[in-house]
Amino acid sequence: MLPKELEQELRKRIEESDHPREEVINVMYAVQNHYGYMCDEAVHETAALLGMTSLEVDELATFYDFIYREPVGRFVIHACDGLVCWMFGEESVVDYLCRKLNIRIGETTKDGLFTVLPSVCIGYCDHAPAILINGEFYGSLTPSRIDDILDDLRKSHCALVRDR
Amino acid sequence: MGEQVLLKNFRPDRPATIDEYRQSGGYEALTKAVREMKPGDVIELIKDSGLRGRGGAGFPTGVKWSGVPEDAPFPRYVVPNTDEMEPGTFKDRVLVNADPHLVIEGIVLAAFAVSAQKGIFFVRPSYEMDAELIERELQVARDAGFLGDHILGGDFSFDMAVHRSAGRYICGEATAQINAVQGQRPHPVKGGPHMTEEGLWKRPTLVNNVETLSCIPHILRNGADWFKGLAKTETGAGTKLYTVSGRIRRPGCYELPIGTRLSEILEDCGGGMPPGTEFKACLPGGASTGFLPRKFYDLELDFDPMKKVGQRLGTGAVVVFDQNTCLVAVTLNLIEFFARESCGFCTPCREGLPFVRDLLRRIEEGEGKEEFIPMLHQMAANMRHAYCAFAPGAAAPLQGLLDFFTDEIREHIARKQCPFKAGNGKAEQGRG
Amino acid sequence: MPKLIIDDREIEVPAGTKVIQAAERLGIMIPRFCFHEALGSLGACRLCAVKFKEGPVKGIEMSCMVEARDGMVVSTTDPDAVSFRKWIIECLMLNHPHDCPVCDEGGHCLLQDETVSGGHGIRRYQGKKRTYVDQDLGPFVRHEMNRCIHCWRCRRFYQDFSGYRDLGALQIANRTYFGRFESGRLENPFSGNLIDLCPTGVYTDKPARFKGRRWNFERGPSLCPHCSLGCNTTGSARYREMVRQEARLNEDVNGYFICDRGRFGFDFANHPHRPRNARSAGEEVSWERGIETAAERLGAIVREAGPDAVLCVGSPRCSLETQVSLRELCRVSGWSAPRFFLESSTSRKVRSAVSKLDEGTAVSMRRIEDADFVLLLGADPVNEAPMSALAVRQAQRKGAAVAVVDPRPVFLPFPFDHLTVTPDRMDLCAAVIVKRALSGDNTATLSGEAAGFLESLPSGYPFDPELHSRMDGIAQALERSERPVIVCGTNIVGESTPGLAGDLAHLLGRTAKKAGLFYLLPGPNAFGAGLQSSTDDPISVLETLEGGKIKALLLVEQDLFRSQFDQERLDRALQNLDCLIVLDYLPSPSVEKADLVLPTTPLFERTPSTFVNQEGRLQQATPVHRGGTPISQVGCGSRPPRTFEDHVPGGDPKAAHEVLDELYRSLGSHERKPLTAEFGDWKAENRSALEDSSLVFVGDRVFSKDAPDKLFSSKITPTEPREKGMEVLSVDWTFGTEELSGYSRVAQKGESVPKLVLHADDAARLGLVEGDKAALQFDAGETILEVGIATNMASGVIVVPGHRLLERQVSAQQPTIVPDNRIRKI
Ligand SMILES: Cc1cc2nc3c(=O)[nH]c(=O)nc-3n(C[C@H](O)[C@H](O)[C@H](O)COP(=O)(O)O)c2cc1C
Ligand code: SF4
Ligand code: FES
Repeated sequence: MLPKELEQELRKRIEESDHPREEVINVMYAVQNHYGYMCDEAVHETAALLGMTSLEVDELATFYDFIYREPVGRFVIHACDGLVCWMFGEESVVDYLCRKLNIRIGETTKDGLFTVLPSVCIGYCDHAPAILINGEFYGSLTPSRIDDILDDLRKSHCALVRDR
Repeated sequence: MGEQVLLKNFRPDRPATIDEYRQSGGYEALTKAVREMKPGDVIELIKDSGLRGRGGAGFPTGVKWSGVPEDAPFPRYVVPNTDEMEPGTFKDRVLVNADPHLVIEGIVLAAFAVSAQKGIFFVRPSYEMDAELIERELQVARDAGFLGDHILGGDFSFDMAVHRSAGRYICGEATAQINAVQGQRPHPVKGGPHMTEEGLWKRPTLVNNVETLSCIPHILRNGADWFKGLAKTETGAGTKLYTVSGRIRRPGCYELPIGTRLSEILEDCGGGMPPGTEFKACLPGGASTGFLPRKFYDLELDFDPMKKVGQRLGTGAVVVFDQNTCLVAVTLNLIEFFARESCGFCTPCREGLPFVRDLLRRIEEGEGKEEFIPMLHQMAANMRHAYCAFAPGAAAPLQGLLDFFTDEIREHIARKQCPFKAGNGKAEQGRG
Repeated sequence: MPKLIIDDREIEVPAGTKVIQAAERLGIMIPRFCFHEALGSLGACRLCAVKFKEGPVKGIEMSCMVEARDGMVVSTTDPDAVSFRKWIIECLMLNHPHDCPVCDEGGHCLLQDETVSGGHGIRRYQGKKRTYVDQDLGPFVRHEMNRCIHCWRCRRFYQDFSGYRDLGALQIANRTYFGRFESGRLENPFSGNLIDLCPTGVYTDKPARFKGRRWNFERGPSLCPHCSLGCNTTGSARYREMVRQEARLNEDVNGYFICDRGRFGFDFANHPHRPRNARSAGEEVSWERGIETAAERLGAIVREAGPDAVLCVGSPRCSLETQVSLRELCRVSGWSAPRFFLESSTSRKVRSAVSKLDEGTAVSMRRIEDADFVLLLGADPVNEAPMSALAVRQAQRKGAAVAVVDPRPVFLPFPFDHLTVTPDRMDLCAAVIVKRALSGDNTATLSGEAAGFLESLPSGYPFDPELHSRMDGIAQALERSERPVIVCGTNIVGESTPGLAGDLAHLLGRTAKKAGLFYLLPGPNAFGAGLQSSTDDPISVLETLEGGKIKALLLVEQDLFRSQFDQERLDRALQNLDCLIVLDYLPSPSVEKADLVLPTTPLFERTPSTFVNQEGRLQQATPVHRGGTPISQVGCGSRPPRTFEDHVPGGDPKAAHEVLDELYRSLGSHERKPLTAEFGDWKAENRSALEDSSLVFVGDRVFSKDAPDKLFSSKITPTEPREKGMEVLSVDWTFGTEELSGYSRVAQKGESVPKLVLHADDAARLGLVEGDKAALQFDAGETILEVGIATNMASGVIVVPGHRLLERQVSAQQPTIVPDNRIRKI
């Protein structure tokens, strides 16, 4: 179940739209954000909000690569394997990430923190190699920079958990 | 570097503000249009200016706009295309970040030209920061009276919202983009009426690249002849944002007269090849264009000169390869990308690309056979008959590889391994 | 009309024709997967590539995407086009599992055909194949995604053509998957068409799985007997057993498709308890003995009690041959005219419908697709005559407004305007809509009686103010329309409604509009029955029997018990009889109770049979096979017997009209001409024999000579305040109600648990919630059902399906009011 507030906010958004279906991606993002990934329940909720069938939502959810139909970690790393990043050692960025996190591509670390997904060119070729983590861009990567980034994220997460 | 038009207000640290934009003449064009011009005048002017679409296909912008029938129903839409998923391309991001109000003014002018009411700013997910920037600046424009009801006190009203995409290269294709906005599966749509007649929600719709749209305020301010004069080529018009990346000293986005020679772009702007490397080939306009070998080093990068030699400008995203880069591997990387992103609608793309991928992978891994070469030729040719321009785009680098680098393929086959990985250290070095 | 040259032959085609269609007119079948005449062009498979050599288009293009234009020169055999098509097939075969030996599609598979004809024989792709996980799609359709070639036909049919939303395309690129959100029964009552449409074996006929290949079957062009629309089918039989039914193209009737009831209903013909031998007093007797006994008994009764002591009752599922024979038998024997309906009200409704249908007004389903306004009056297409819903859907896709005047929770697979009025107000509601639509200039052409009729229509609707603006909206849509169609049911409506619907349609037709009229009738040959009965039945069959004068009852393919709530009353009435003779192919309760059974054959067996669908279209079903007890039922297991006999086991039954003919001869009549002699083949030239009767023939259709009869005589009677309580309506469900499919073990799998449905407000008042069990108490006893709740229906009404699984059927015929205190929660 979606929290009341979120549900109301989304309902309002949909009501205000001339074409409710234009909101489907926004709703999927919001619902995914709440559930952590686009689980079946999230698909059903999205469908109910928009008057679509679950199949109709899933036709979209499974099409897009930023909608995750499988569980993902707290930090989703879209590692660019586009041409330029690849030339600049993408293979080693992905390899390095996977080695460092002890997972294979597409998997999530045991602690549930990191998921590594391959991504098409993310539009930062002037800062190759580059990755996105939860939508945020990190460029000109080197192994030590990657280490730092991962450490920072871990720390920020721990801090967050502690604060709660 | 020539005259900076689109990137006039570029600063390395932050986007230009509305005040900075206005100081440079911003929103004068809109004021003039709303107060003094008829929509038809704007279209005529754009037609005269010779502006061609910067999204990849190079379609004359004025001609596209005049496709909106005068008696067409309302509301009408403008969809500024900022999907920019073409590998190697990042000009739209630079542009939006440099001068968001230039982009906004361009969009509003396009809307004025076709009497549109609603804009949908289509952004890819990796540009979330830019989406937020645009959302902020839209409000600034609204507050200043450049957007919303009764723009500048006149009769013309137009507003815009940001549409956040959830990824996939095909969403950049104009008709697929409309489906995406409508919450349908983003497959392209062909064979029906043009989008300028029936687009978003079956209403007249303009889909234009944001770079294209950003030229409009300048054309209105300075005139069609001025715009034509910006080009280096006879038939060209305007400047072009070339992005340079790959094996180059100073990767980046450079605004140059359209038709600037490849050599100038690489040497004067890109700073030439990194030490110890030499130019082998480049893609001139992203992944959907063919390889330009050394013999095209002095080619003018503009629509017509390139067409003459069987090449395409694409997005003007130049990706440079040096002598140590394996072009079979590069092509394989590109085909992997295309195979993964194919929308899955039509056969040549959905099935043909994995077929090509398999052959290239085998060649790269040393399992290639001579008979693969004619097969690849056949497939590159056949993919041109796909449903949309995606698969023909994918065929372009493959065709380039076959046209200019068959020897490299043969070497893979003969040596039963990738010559660049052949233990001479070159490949490792090359992929530094 | 553009003129073009295809493969050196010139052809002129109507503007808008695609090149692939133009070629087909020349007999050139350009290979295709995604293009389908009913679904249109898509351009996805790229298999229909041809070379355009001259004209406005040049080079290789898809013939399904290019409209024929003047000056085009097209080659389908150009080497470039041929090699491109071959490559496309190769691509489609990259991941195909090559499992033809175990695939039911093998032998009639478009992918096989195109692969062979395209010349693709040698595999060049060495990579791994993509595989998918299949889903369980329910009892009818089997899913095997690995065979998919992504032609998109299934999704286009499912979502676009038919409007259902639980099957579609998932994933992307070459992982694209066609299926549901999760395993589960397809919600679409037209799902079986996926089987016909799929060009390979992704969707196959589950009940027919592994029963044989095309060439193993005896096949014949047949008709669907499961409602009045008369959809065309092709039946397949093997080992004396019907195996499957497919849609057969009829451009006017069903197009390319049929519904799932029609597809999976055939199995009634394989029922293990089907009467296969003549039976007298419960004992098997020889066929000849059976006929003789019948003649003797009837003769004796006539001698004792006179000819009026014999009553013959046929049914709307009898073929026209049978109906005609029965009428003739009664006539020459001096018995009273046969009945074809158990209830007199049904006979009046059907006859009134028949009396209004004439050539100008009766529309086919094809014409409904072209309508720009459709009013459904007491018609629930998906449940009563499913394919008509698809026809209305096509109209709606092209922009037609669709309005429904109906108390039931009508579902249609698209948006429509539903006025949920109680049955007694439906006439008024429809009349008001038409009156308001015809109030301006558009009535100038009306003359005399039409103008008077319009004048007489009420314009005010005194109930339910909430409905007024919606009625106006509907009236405006009707006013704007040029090709409106009224679809009128004959099930839950009052006796006056079919006549009114006819008058309203005729009235609309007298204006500048091209108006259409379309009835849903109770049975595949109800129209024929309407034509055959010369007068309205004054009272029901049951009441007639209760009168006590009838001593012999001859039931021909009719079951008294099926729809009778008060079975005890029926039993009592039957005690008045000396002799009950039943001719039928169903193992019905009436057959059980009969003194004498003479088994007949259904339309799949033995002889051709003719049916008149609800728009007057004469259609003939050709026998699919000879008949006889299925081999699987004669005790040899699943293989043919090893001994040889000179007769077919269970081969005695004959078509009902043949049985009647034999009976007629045994009765010792002097006329030696067969009963159906004058009938001949209704489709042939010798129709003249019939022309002098009360019929007129127009093309494939037959109408009553008097039609339209009593035009503009409908009156809207003010509705009387009715008794307090809930009105119980017996309604149809797609599965479970219709008689024949109820005997199909295959179609039974499509049934869901029968439920009574009532409005949420009523439910709240009665303290009922969804899923409760409730008892409805009638004078004759009570019936217990699960409770369903809806808001898209009239309040004051309880809807109960006629359903095979219910012990007692709530008869549709009289409004039955149940006071609140006789509705009990259990
Ligand atoms: C596969 C594919 C991807 C495309 N992606 C983009 C894109 O990301 N951005 C863009 O502006 N145009 C893209 N286009 C081009 C658009 O279809 C369209 O031509 C363009 O946006 C029109 O704008 P213009 O006339 O200003 O160039 C793409 C085309 C194809 C076939
Ligand atoms: S070429 Fe075909 S499959 Fe590929 S993206 Fe275009 S329509 Fe989709
Ligand atoms: S039939 Fe023309 S592309 Fe499929």
